[in-house]
Amino acid sequence: MRVFMLSAQEARKLRPSMVSAIVFILGLVAVFALQLGLNMMVTQDAYELRALQAQKRDLATDVQIIQEEVASLGSPQNLADAAHQLGMVANPSSVLLDIQTNRVFGEPTPADGESLGIASANLVANSALGSTSRFITASLLDAELLAGVSTESNTVAGVTLQSGLIPASPTR
Amino acid sequence: MGAHAKYSRRLGIFAFMLVAMVIALGFRLVDFQVVRAEEIQQASLDRREVTRTLTALRGNIVDSTGQVLAKTVFRYDINAAPKNVGPVRTLRDGVIVERSVMDIALELAPLLGLDLDDLLSRLDGDTEYVNLAKLVDADTYNQIRDMNVPWIFSDRFADRLYPNGAVAGNLLGFVGSDGTPLAGLERQYNTCLAGVDGQETYERSAEGVKIPTSNVTTQPIEDGGTLNLTIDSNLQFFAQQVLADTVSELNAEWASAVVIEVETGRILAAAEAPSVDPNDPAAVPSADRGSRIFQTSFEPGSIMKSITTGMVLDSGVANEFDTVEAPDRLYLDFNNEYIKDSFDHEDFTLSLAGVLRYSSNTGMTEFGRQIDRDARGDYLEKFGFGVPTSLRFEGESGGILRPASQWDEMTNLTTLFGQGLAVTPIQMAYAYQALANGGVRLDPILVDSCTSADGTVYYKPNQVSTRVISESAARVNLEAMEKVVEFGGVGKTARIPDYRVAGKTGTAEISENGVYLDQYAISFYGVAPAENPKFVVGVTIYRPVGVSNSAMATPPFKAIMQQALKHYRVPPSTTESRNIPSNRYGLVDEND
Repeated sequence: MRVFMLSAQEARKLRPSMVSAIVFILGLVAVFALQLGLNMMVTQDAYELRALQAQKRDLATDVQIIQEEVASLGSPQNLADAAHQLGMVANPSSVLLDIQTNRVFGEPTPADGESLGIASANLVANSALGSTSRFITASLLDAELLAGVSTESNTVAGVTLQSGLIPASPTR
Repeated sequence: MGAHAKYSRRLGIFAFMLVAMVIALGFRLVDFQVVRAEEIQQASLDRREVTRTLTALRGNIVDSTGQVLAKTVFRYDINAAPKNVGPVRTLRDGVIVERSVMDIALELAPLLGLDLDDLLSRLDGDTEYVNLAKLVDADTYNQIRDMNVPWIFSDRFADRLYPNGAVAGNLLGFVGSDGTPLAGLERQYNTCLAGVDGQETYERSAEGVKIPTSNVTTQPIEDGGTLNLTIDSNLQFFAQQVLADTVSELNAEWASAVVIEVETGRILAAAEAPSVDPNDPAAVPSADRGSRIFQTSFEPGSIMKSITTGMVLDSGVANEFDTVEAPDRLYLDFNNEYIKDSFDHEDFTLSLAGVLRYSSNTGMTEFGRQIDRDARGDYLEKFGFGVPTSLRFEGESGGILRPASQWDEMTNLTTLFGQGLAVTPIQMAYAYQALANGGVRLDPILVDSCTSADGTVYYKPNQVSTRVISESAARVNLEAMEKVVEFGGVGKTARIPDYRVAGKTGTAEISENGVYLDQYAISFYGVAPAENPKFVVGVTIYRPVGVSNSAMATPPFKAIMQQALKHYRVPPSTTESRNIPSNRYGLVDEND
């Protein structure tokens, strides 16, 4: 190892320049700032992703609730009960038209509930019936508001039908 | 100079130490980065990496019109951490609102179906976990989640929902609370329905937060397939309604009805009463949780006669004009045995149609015993008796049919009119399907296919057809069966206005441990329209209290057949049945 002796002038020359120090530090700051920015963006996106995933899950839950309700309302048990409640009876005799020959098959006869011997109200168990949610109330309220109908009676979701011990879905 | 040397030495020591340190660190660096690099990286990854099972969703079961009969839904267990229970402060519209534990409990109790005291006692304690309610539905879960109570949390579970309840419940089966299929099609087709669980790994930070973009799916999830049934749930519901009514009216043990599409062999309805609601199988006794149509065999009785007349016609032993003498008691040439009819009468002269019309055991015996015993055994096998159907339904019975060579002298004759053998309702329905389908028996189809979401077909049934009797024999046989409905005392009640119906009544005594009880299995199996058969409907009512004649089996048959004809828009018959002899003198009765 060798050591050199310098003059004061030469030493001043070798002193690090302020400009390059500032450039170096600014560069460093810029790199850190860029990294920070990128990090923030990634983090922000991660939060957004999480929020969207949560939203997707919530919406999927809502879809499930509505599908369950539709299935409950559309089940043959509920329809049979609703029809029975309205006083409807099935007419076993059908009348058909042949549009090619203009021929009528069968004689139109009114259905007679008494003589049918077929139950009209539901006799088939379904414990999945009767699930109601706030969606049905909300959609009914919306529909009636749109139609300008008074909503005073809408605290109840609809007519709840009962036949025997089997719970029934609300229906309109 | 002295000072210079001193500096120089110090500098030398410093430089030496610096170099030594750099070398030491360099070694360490090479050790970490090169020599043990893999090992260290693995150890680090192991600490960060988490593997998670992605549960596959169980597939739907749908009917022939796409109506969902079974589906997977999510249910939630609601839990709390009693340790953290306390008032909750929330910011609402810029105002901090404090809700006391009592406020929250009052709101929560009705949602969970608990009474307030019960709920409060569960929330009391120093533990971190207590279950408040199991498997609550999604709507309740949403409401609880919206309450925003930090000490309440939930676990999500997949559960099975049967939106139509007991409609086809006996066929569908059900799953246990842990999702294991326990009965019926759920169990039989589990491979198709279950799907394959997936696996995912991701890295997480020291705080347990998942590192974004780090997840790798190591095993892709494969959701279960959709099981497409041939059942029409509307017709199935209708048939179940009729049977439920019948069973309660007649105080019967059970009743079954099968509707088959003749040309395709598809089962449109397989209804039973009592039936099971797969949402709640525990609500009915275990005997009612299976399917009697497949699992229970009974002595068929007279519904067998139209099978025998089919054999007689096919084997050429007699035609529709030939007659036999049919007394009310036919004495046999062994053991002083005799065969008798169900009612006393003078000697009849009966054609095949007459035998069916009067349901004469003696007449049937006179015709049937002309066919070789082994040939009859072969016919019965070809009609599908004695073995389970190709469906191989869970616990399916094959009925009881001994080989013809083992029949004793009496069984040899009684099998002609449905005694000494046992059949399942599904076997009998398909024997009638053969009669209706020009003598060709098709394998039953209950499951059309199992398909994945992208349309891949996992399963498709392989249907085999068996020629049992000739087409001409089958046609004449149906004409003979029409006389039952046109003129038969009981059969008449099965008439459907505007349609030609062919069928046969049956009343079979039920035996227990070889002794015939005063109890009956009454049946009506029939086909319509007779000139171009579309449907077979078979109704069996088991042990109706105080009923010993098949007249009670015709109203459900009629109702279900009429519904099927109406539902599928089958045009009424435009032709009359053929005039063939069917009265007690072996002569033709004209149609009215």
